[in-house]
Amino acid sequence: MTAATKPAMTFAKSAMAKLIALGVVLVAFAGAAVAQPAAGSAGSAGSGASAGSAGSGASVAGAAEAQPPVSPPASAAIDPRRACTEAMNADPKFAAAITKVADEQAAVQRDKDTLDAHQSAYAHVQKNEKHVIYSYAAMWIVAALFVLFLWRRQQALNAEIASLRRDLAAAADDAPKGRA
Amino acid sequence: MTDQPDLNDPIGAPGAKLAIPVLALLSALGIAYSVYLVFYGTPLEFGYNEAGKLNGSSLFFNQKIFYFHVAHAFWLFGAVFVSGASSIAYLVTRKAKWDDLASAATDVSVAFGAVVLITGSVWAKAAWDVWWHWEPRLTMSLLLWLVLVGYVLVRRFAGAGAERIAAGMAIFGMVGVPFIYKMVGSDSHPAAGGNGVVLTLAPEMKGPFWICVVSFLCWFLVLVLSRVASTRAERELRELREHGLDLGVLQ
Repeated sequence: MTAATKPAMTFAKSAMAKLIALGVVLVAFAGAAVAQPAAGSAGSAGSGASAGSAGSGASVAGAAEAQPPVSPPASAAIDPRRACTEAMNADPKFAAAITKVADEQAAVQRDKDTLDAHQSAYAHVQKNEKHVIYSYAAMWIVAALFVLFLWRRQQALNAEIASLRRDLAAAADDAPKGRA
Repeated sequence: MTDQPDLNDPIGAPGAKLAIPVLALLSALGIAYSVYLVFYGTPLEFGYNEAGKLNGSSLFFNQKIFYFHVAHAFWLFGAVFVSGASSIAYLVTRKAKWDDLASAATDVSVAFGAVVLITGSVWAKAAWDVWWHWEPRLTMSLLLWLVLVGYVLVRRFAGAGAERIAAGMAIFGMVGVPFIYKMVGSDSHPAAGGNGVVLTLAPEMKGPFWICVVSFLCWFLVLVLSRVASTRAERELRELREHGLDLGVLQ
């Protein structure tokens, strides 16, 4: 081998070494890349399971915390009105608040009653209109019939009286001639 | 033959020819004004009970019937009194003018009585939900009206002497009026007299009511005077016929 060929061989060896090193790195990256999804899915599944179990554990704990306190026995129940009265006596502010609410509700009820009364009166008015109409119609019809009766009768009487007077006058005129 | 009466002058007094037109004008104006007042110048009739609720006996708009129903009832009784008093005068004096007045007043009382009974019946339907209630005052009013109708029928169909029979009926009707007015035991019909509805009316209702009464008085007089003229014409016709029979003109 010549001297000129030695550097060439060295360069070739170093290049080969760099290529091998690059290949190893690439393979390593490729392996890492391939291995990544499997590792992620396994991780998520594992975390989901752990989270689910942790959630259920939390809900159980919450349910345990939300449970109402144990109610007193029935024998210990008291009259709400009496309890409210006692509370009002004990706390003037509470009494004032309760009184205000009661007054407001009473006012609302009064307004409703007033409205109902007006509606009832209006219904009565509507209902009775027809009776007033019937009465007035009857009154005017009777009056009109009576006036019509009077007028026709008077006309007939006047005509008959005039006719009779003419006949009697004619008879009176004829009587002296007949006697003569 | 008697003197020929002026058929347009039923009273036979100076200036009486103007009576009918003047009264007719007054009654027309008065009734028109009454209708206006009744519907626009008077409040609805209603009241509240102790619980603050509307009274069940409240009449509301239906009370508008009252003004004309009662005004007609007033002059129905007036007509019956005129008829009865004129009949007494006729039976005592035998003057035809009293018989004419009695006949005319009775005819008008039949018309006014019909109005009173019909409007009262409609009012009963609205107030009590029945068309008729056989309570004493209503029943007596109906009987009075039937007596008046009987008077008219007797005058028309009884022939000779009908005037005297009818006069007796008119007196009978007149005697019945105070009983109707003061009828005791009237359980449904509103009371009359001192504690009656008329004298205890609300102030806003009194004025229109009395205007109604006066207006219908004018109307009543118009009808009576017109009917007197008609009755005089009937009498005139009878006398003309008798005269014609005497002369042989009629058979």
